[in-house]
Amino acid sequence: MFDRRWIYLLVALAVIFPLIVPATFKVHITPEARQLFDAIEALPDSSIVMLTFDYYPSTLAETEPISVAALHHLFRKDCRVLTMTTIPLGGPSIAERVTRALAKEHGKVYGVDYVNLGFKYNYVAVLKGMGTSIEAIYPMDNSSTPLSELPMMESIRNYDDISFIFVVSDNAIVDYWISIVNAEYATPVGIGVTAVSAPKYYAFISSGQVTGLLGGMKGAAEYERLVKAEGMALKGMAMQSLVHLLIIALVIIGNIGFFASRRARRRATA
Amino acid sequence: MRRVAPVIIAFLSGFVTVISFCFNPDKTVLGGIEPRVLSWVTIVGGFTLLLGVVSITRVNWQAVHRKKEGWPYKFLTLVAMYVMAVPAMLPSSWSPLFGDAEGSIYDWLFMHIDAPMMGTMFAMLAFYIASAAYRAFRARNPESTLLLAAAVLVMLWRVPMGEAFLRLFGENVPGFINTYLMNGVNAAVQRGIVIGAALGAASMSLRIMLGIERTYMGKG
Amino acid sequence: MHRLPLKLSLVAAYNLVLLILGSEPALAQTTVDSVFRWDRLNAMILLVVFSVVILLYIKWAKEGKPLFLRKIPGLEAVEEAVGRATEMGRPVLFIPGIQELDEIETIAGVSILGRVAKITAQYETPLMVPVRYPLVLAAGQEVVEQAYTEMGKHDAYSKDMVRYVAGEQFAFAATVNGIMVRERPAANIFMGVFAAESLLLAETGNAAGSIQIAGTARPEQLPFFIAACDYTLMGEELYAASAYLSHEPLMLGGLKGQDLIKILIVIFIVVGVILVTLGIGDTFYGWFDLGN
Repeated sequence: MFDRRWIYLLVALAVIFPLIVPATFKVHITPEARQLFDAIEALPDSSIVMLTFDYYPSTLAETEPISVAALHHLFRKDCRVLTMTTIPLGGPSIAERVTRALAKEHGKVYGVDYVNLGFKYNYVAVLKGMGTSIEAIYPMDNSSTPLSELPMMESIRNYDDISFIFVVSDNAIVDYWISIVNAEYATPVGIGVTAVSAPKYYAFISSGQVTGLLGGMKGAAEYERLVKAEGMALKGMAMQSLVHLLIIALVIIGNIGFFASRRARRRATA
Repeated sequence: MRRVAPVIIAFLSGFVTVISFCFNPDKTVLGGIEPRVLSWVTIVGGFTLLLGVVSITRVNWQAVHRKKEGWPYKFLTLVAMYVMAVPAMLPSSWSPLFGDAEGSIYDWLFMHIDAPMMGTMFAMLAFYIASAAYRAFRARNPESTLLLAAAVLVMLWRVPMGEAFLRLFGENVPGFINTYLMNGVNAAVQRGIVIGAALGAASMSLRIMLGIERTYMGKG
Repeated sequence: MHRLPLKLSLVAAYNLVLLILGSEPALAQTTVDSVFRWDRLNAMILLVVFSVVILLYIKWAKEGKPLFLRKIPGLEAVEEAVGRATEMGRPVLFIPGIQELDEIETIAGVSILGRVAKITAQYETPLMVPVRYPLVLAAGQEVVEQAYTEMGKHDAYSKDMVRYVAGEQFAFAATVNGIMVRERPAANIFMGVFAAESLLLAETGNAAGSIQIAGTARPEQLPFFIAACDYTLMGEELYAASAYLSHEPLMLGGLKGQDLIKILIVIFIVVGVILVTLGIGDTFYGWFDLGN
């Protein structure tokens, strides 16, 4: 039987090669990415936007570029950003690291322009509870500062005060943002998800439950292009292209082999 | 009582949550109960994490103590767990190495050991997908040929190099895939599965609330 | 009671609730000021219809009315897979997903575990159940022990059959992959919530040559299971599995009721599509709009 490790070797080479010989490609914008960009662009300046870091460090390559591009956009528009996570392992520290770095770049002040709420256990309870009172769920921010001491939080009580929720996620928590938050509180939800989960959420675009969708590294690259901030996603397009083409080549080779062996079998039985 | 009490609790918790959806939380006791039930869930959930720590310590310590096969690995599991957890639980006011802020022991271990290991495991998917695709996408019959064609088109469409290739056949080809394949066929199929699964989940919830389905409690 | 028109029942129930809560009836009031969210009456009606239909079918099933259920090949294969494991003298590996017990899919997975454990108890086939959450561990141990006791094989039960391996997703996947490679189970059964590790697990099992049966309601993971497993239960089939394997009329009745609701939904979709296409669907569409 064919040793599948040869395939693994080819995939490794396809990933490594573009790192040695970098190449850039033109990324076309899909309507879903454009919709998300336009929705944020249409928000009045200094609107309150919630940005979630619902992903584990394992998917950083796909998801973090989305968060970075989103923060560039939000800070440029002078939106006030409320970040949170439903992931205990790594979520709060990723949110802290990414937001602080971007805030520094854009000259934003913690507590005035952005607040990191951190993590609380049980996402269903958290998502539902914030509909009534964010402070009841998160009495303190990620650094244990009471929310009452943060100027930005004075005008934020619950979802009614949030203009848009930008969910960046690598798991099915998105379903709850749609079915609990968007359905019950009508807050618009835009999403950036891993490529594997993206097909599922096309169904929620045309139903109007999701306002814009970014799928995986390609989605991140589109958003980077839209906000004119080239980052890791645009750089990663070369290796993703090569691996996709390799898989297609493998599928074709596999089919050639399949038909050849079928013909041989037929000849043998004839 | 051991059989009935869990069913009653399951029924009341489910009933309150479902019914309170249709009542105004500010106007009724019922609406007000729901957030309280949810807070209980959060608190109870916190304690279950403790249960996990106790379980993993007990199982691994027993293996180490009795020198069962592979005990050094189990010992390492225990060391890794406590080295990671204990400094994170100590107050950062004692030392910047404690707590979970940047610069702490927990943060360093997490960012430099745990996160890369998780990333490595996730990245292995690329290899597994390649070999699974090689094996699974065969034009055996009309249905599988259709699946194969759709997969190849989407794989090309999702990357700039492939998209450029598709544009050779017409400027609108990528748009066609997006409109008809992703927002058309794909969205319809996803809806079918999601609606079916939601109904299945609702039906199962009802069976649990009414105590018809009790297998998960160990009562068939 | 069920002979009363639905609306009358609802009004009566509503007033009863008001009476219990000690509030003034406020039928005339609507939206945010009222006790009852009238804008969500549609959800309440759907809930009542859904519950009544399922309960009716359960009642009919109890009365002994014959109910036809189509065969689900994946579930038919469970017994065959355990049989194969017995012949080969190798264990059965069961994974009830990677999520906590508050996920309904995990409960479905644990319920199926109970049914599978009865079969492994019957054939005295070794069973291994690695879990990711402490509560699933407790429930899993309880379920497996009960299954072995019911089959009169309590002596064959060991607490280590269900074991907590790791709380982190990929650490869990790595451990399970290790079990697959070292212990070479003859059958791998995946039932519950799965995420990125689905292909890591299924592909390793495939390479190890195990029979693989998977079931999940996560559409994004289905393609991976379909590519690497012998049988895959899709979406609602996972929830139906426990009832299907139990062969109990009470449980099967619920499935039939669910089917009827699905037919209703299909009718609504078709009617909605026709009305919207004709440009007269706004009112009909509005019936399904959930109040915010």
